[in-house]
Amino acid sequence: MTATTVEIKNLTKIFTDTNTTAINDLSLNIEKGKITGLIGADGTGKTTLIRLIIGLLVTDKGEIETLGLDPFTQKYKLNQKIGYMPQKFGLYEDLSVIENLNLYADLKNVPRDFDELLEFTDLARFKDRLAGRLSGGMKQKLGLACALMGFPEFLVLDEPSVGVDPISRRELMKLVRNSMNENTTVLWSTAYLDEAHSFDTAVVMDAGKVIFNGIPNELGNTSQEFENNVIELMGGYKKKESLIAEHFEMNDYDTEYPVEALDLAKKYGDFYAVRNNTFHIKKGEIFGLLGPNGAGKSTSFKMMCGLATPTKGTAKIMETDIKENPSKARSYLGYMAQKFSLYGNLTVRQNLEFFAGIYGVSILSRKERVDEVIDVFSLKQYENQLSFELPLGFKQRLSMACALIHNPPILFLDEPTSGVDVLTRRDFWNHITSLAKKGVTILVTTHFMDEAEYCDRISLFYKGEAIAIGTPEELKQKANVDNMEETFIKLIEERDENDD
Amino acid sequence: MFRRVLALIKKEFLAIWKDPRSRAIIIAPPLIQLLLFANALTMEIKNIDMVVLDRSNTVESRELISRFENSRWFRNIIYANNEIDIRTHINEQNVQIGLEINNDFAGQIKQNKPVSVQVIVDGRQTNSAAIAGGYASQIISQYSNEIDKRPQGASIRAEVRNWFNPNLEYQWFLLGTLVSLLAVITALMLTALSIAREREMGTFDQLIVSPLSSGEILIGKTIPPLIIAVIMTSIMTVLAMLFFNMPFAGSVFWFFVTIIIALLSIVGIGLFISSLCKTQQQAILGVFVFQSPAILLSGFISPIEDMPLLVQKITYLNPIRFFMTITKGILFKGMLPQDIIMNLIPMIIMACVALTAAGWMFKRKLD
Amino acid sequence: MMIKKPSPQKLSNIRIIRALITKEFLQIVRDPSSILIAFVIPFIYLVIYMYGINLDTVKVTMGIKNDDPAPETLTLIKSFDQSDYITPYVYNDKDLMYHDLIRSRIKGAIIIPNDFSSKLLKSRPADILIITDGSETNLANYAQSYPVSIANQWLSESRYKYLVKPPLINTELRYWFNQDINSHYFIMPGSLAITMTLIGILLTALVVAREWERGTMEALLSTRVKRIHIVLSKYIPYFILGMMSMVFSVFMCIVVYNIPFQGNLLILFTVGGLFLLSCMGIGLTISTLLRDQFLASQVALAVGFLPALMLSGLIFPINSMPEGFQIFTRFLPPRYFVSFIQSEFMAGTIWKIVLESSLFLAILGWLLFVIVYKKTAVRLED
Repeated sequence: MTATTVEIKNLTKIFTDTNTTAINDLSLNIEKGKITGLIGADGTGKTTLIRLIIGLLVTDKGEIETLGLDPFTQKYKLNQKIGYMPQKFGLYEDLSVIENLNLYADLKNVPRDFDELLEFTDLARFKDRLAGRLSGGMKQKLGLACALMGFPEFLVLDEPSVGVDPISRRELMKLVRNSMNENTTVLWSTAYLDEAHSFDTAVVMDAGKVIFNGIPNELGNTSQEFENNVIELMGGYKKKESLIAEHFEMNDYDTEYPVEALDLAKKYGDFYAVRNNTFHIKKGEIFGLLGPNGAGKSTSFKMMCGLATPTKGTAKIMETDIKENPSKARSYLGYMAQKFSLYGNLTVRQNLEFFAGIYGVSILSRKERVDEVIDVFSLKQYENQLSFELPLGFKQRLSMACALIHNPPILFLDEPTSGVDVLTRRDFWNHITSLAKKGVTILVTTHFMDEAEYCDRISLFYKGEAIAIGTPEELKQKANVDNMEETFIKLIEERDENDD
Repeated sequence: MFRRVLALIKKEFLAIWKDPRSRAIIIAPPLIQLLLFANALTMEIKNIDMVVLDRSNTVESRELISRFENSRWFRNIIYANNEIDIRTHINEQNVQIGLEINNDFAGQIKQNKPVSVQVIVDGRQTNSAAIAGGYASQIISQYSNEIDKRPQGASIRAEVRNWFNPNLEYQWFLLGTLVSLLAVITALMLTALSIAREREMGTFDQLIVSPLSSGEILIGKTIPPLIIAVIMTSIMTVLAMLFFNMPFAGSVFWFFVTIIIALLSIVGIGLFISSLCKTQQQAILGVFVFQSPAILLSGFISPIEDMPLLVQKITYLNPIRFFMTITKGILFKGMLPQDIIMNLIPMIIMACVALTAAGWMFKRKLD
Repeated sequence: MMIKKPSPQKLSNIRIIRALITKEFLQIVRDPSSILIAFVIPFIYLVIYMYGINLDTVKVTMGIKNDDPAPETLTLIKSFDQSDYITPYVYNDKDLMYHDLIRSRIKGAIIIPNDFSSKLLKSRPADILIITDGSETNLANYAQSYPVSIANQWLSESRYKYLVKPPLINTELRYWFNQDINSHYFIMPGSLAITMTLIGILLTALVVAREWERGTMEALLSTRVKRIHIVLSKYIPYFILGMMSMVFSVFMCIVVYNIPFQGNLLILFTVGGLFLLSCMGIGLTISTLLRDQFLASQVALAVGFLPALMLSGLIFPINSMPEGFQIFTRFLPPRYFVSFIQSEFMAGTIWKIVLESSLFLAILGWLLFVIVYKKTAVRLED
């Protein structure tokens, strides 16, 4: 009989202000001594469940027992046995590494003995650096260190690996395993399906319910299999012809390379965020920018859109230098911003009309065009709803619709699938690949390694430079492995070795 | 390019209207302030409480005191028994003013000999004290003239005419200045939020990546707050005229020209501040740091002529100063176009400078 | 001998509070906005109030048209010229003078009629006509009264002096507490009160909301931190910062601007401290209830600053307000502090005022502390 750390029976949680049922009659047991992964897209209820388990939220219906205590009435006692790392890591950005550690040590009433911890997390040399100035990966390690203090029985981590490259993710997992003893239980939530195999137990959530709970290998031995089976559990994905691509009006043009980066470089003070960046994207090609945080891919992307001015080099759209003739160059672009920045207080229709207007869709044809887009993107049911109220998947769709409303020959996508569930992601890439087939040229940045496979060519960024450019196949061969994640890790490690 | 800007303007209006915060900014402060000022706030002195030490205790002294009791400026009269009483009441601010009548008061008067009374004012409220003292002097000299049976002598009096505001209605003065101020504050707040909010929401990138040039973005962000502020000012002016009988002696045309130019310069400053700030909260603080000195040094509370020369020169940089001068001029005096234009020119210059700086700044801040 | 070991919980309480306070201080020092609010804004205000606002007797520019042929009248005009209160411009053309009045070149006009001196010679009252620019209501008041007093002063020294009859009842006006009749002596301490209100409220209004927005509050709530720890750790550092700001402002007033101070510094800072606590209470209440920084700052400005400026009695006299408003101001901390601080500076320590203010501020401060404590959450929702 295995001991349970958390017992949940028929839990329901409804948020009255947005009228959403975040957790829907959920029952779950979390085993002691194991690392349990809570996997699901944004909005599936992971964070809500975590907060309920440790008593930061109150249940509407059902029961929870954590470490034998009731999180609602015995929260204070429970606090003394858990280590919690919230989203955004719970770090004080204005305080240094050591000051953050001191603070948490005092708050948890444990001795200020950090040498081992600092060694362990490789933060020793950054002791006095302000937490706000750390890189993403280091912040996460620090957050973990603060949560680990006092060696809690139950370690609860809410998306500790978000936005970080696979190498850092692996390091983080190693850290966690090394800090456990046989009585420690770890609950780790993530949106990345491909992390499933690093857990002892995988709990997959969708729409406030658990759709799978067991050993990851039961659902598939590789991440691809796992993902496919999760999709089945979610109702399956039927690949359809992309209506969006069908209705897309492609105006033909002559240019061979619609998007070009020529020796781009960006300097901040003495520091080169990007240097020697050159690539040429062919018509109808899907080109991906990959790399860990801080490697320079976002900066490179920004220079291509005109959001950042290059210190050196040129960004060319349709052979027009974006610096010299910005209006003309930008009229060829469709842009999907990170986190789908839309005007939350405006309705779906108003957002579309706005983007149609500023991208030059004539007033006469505007209404027609917006109607068409609403149909094609299946946004009819939300037409007059405020965009901040939309579910995440529809926000993404609206964002895509706004980007495509003027039928641009070039699409720039900035992390277009962050946080969405696996079905939506598949659907999205279906549309993208169909558009590319029709001739749309696409530049995309992403954290998801498996999405790299959808690209025709990839540029791998590390420390400000593109260390490899080629098709996914070419790169995999170069690294001598069979999946993108390993390729990534291998190529970066090689680069590090060469630098040393 | 025209339709691009139109689309942006339409979006701005929608965004302002639909965001409950901006709605609150437009509606609440002006209403509250109008209410407060029109009803509660005045620099007139009324309801003065007084302590009296009447050592004379005669018909004449009591008659004098009754003049105070019946006066519309004075409220409570407290009777003291001795010097210490007077001192205590004034110290403790139970009264603002004290009157001391000596015991030879009636005697001297009956003999037609001059006599003095002491009026003590609490200097802690120096301004009100001076005015209260003035009222007291007036009442005393009026009484003096009435009971003076001696033949007349030479003296100088004044016949006073107050042009433009015959009864020196404080309310008119306040309302006139208020109308300009409220518009300014609203315009500042609205524009301060506008760019900073888009930055926070992440939609600012969308604007930059679009074909809109920074000039077009500037126009798109200037016009909606400008129109809203102009409408507000007009409504408030009409309300003030209807409910408080505030006069409007000048030209409607020039009034509108003035409002538009003044608000344009304010909007420019607001946008400039907004372009410097990364978060809405910083923008609010920034606006506040600009707004309070600007209002205090605009001639609203105390006249510019009385500020030290250096400070007077600084007020030339303050568009609110000119706005107020013209507003008061048009409302009360029917100001002439050439004078209006002289005051408009500095604001036009400031508008151009501020708007240019804003446009330049937010392009720069991208990096 | 029994040595009592402190219980682990008590020890950890001190440790926790100290850790939280250290954290707040580090954040204050490294965040420019707190320094801006605590020192830069007061400094700007002090400078502006000192140099920009002047409620004293002001010098009025007036035009003079003399229709009286008598030569003696010219000495009257000379009196106007020599006076500290009027800057006269002599006009020969009445229409030009009116024109300039309309265009605000002069703020008032004096017309000496042609029978002026003849009336005086006959021992009769003589009138001068004064026209003021009523749109500048404040100035108009002065424009009305100065010329008369200057003229009567002149009269008592002129060749008509023997024809003058002194008033039967003469008013001796005495100013207590401000013999120099310098309006800065009461504006500066008052402005100090206003500034402190602003700081007390603004500093704390953002503080709690900021933790919620940055996600650090959530992390704190899963440690051994208790409500009282959180509340104290918000009050103490900002109280210290606020007091430092107060000391700085008082220093500026007394030492740099030479505003006379008749009272007792200890009492000043004690009541000041109570006032600061009340204002912080208001700010923290706003911050705790609204977990949104933007909203918190808006409400703080609306609720804190505006009433302080308008309804505290500093600029607009409370006695002139309608009865309802007068009563309302009895609930506003700035009203008590403005009256206290003006008193303490100009009159020295008046115990009734000290006690009244202290009592009110202490009660309000305590009430708000309790509200903040009760409303401080231990979980994301309650």
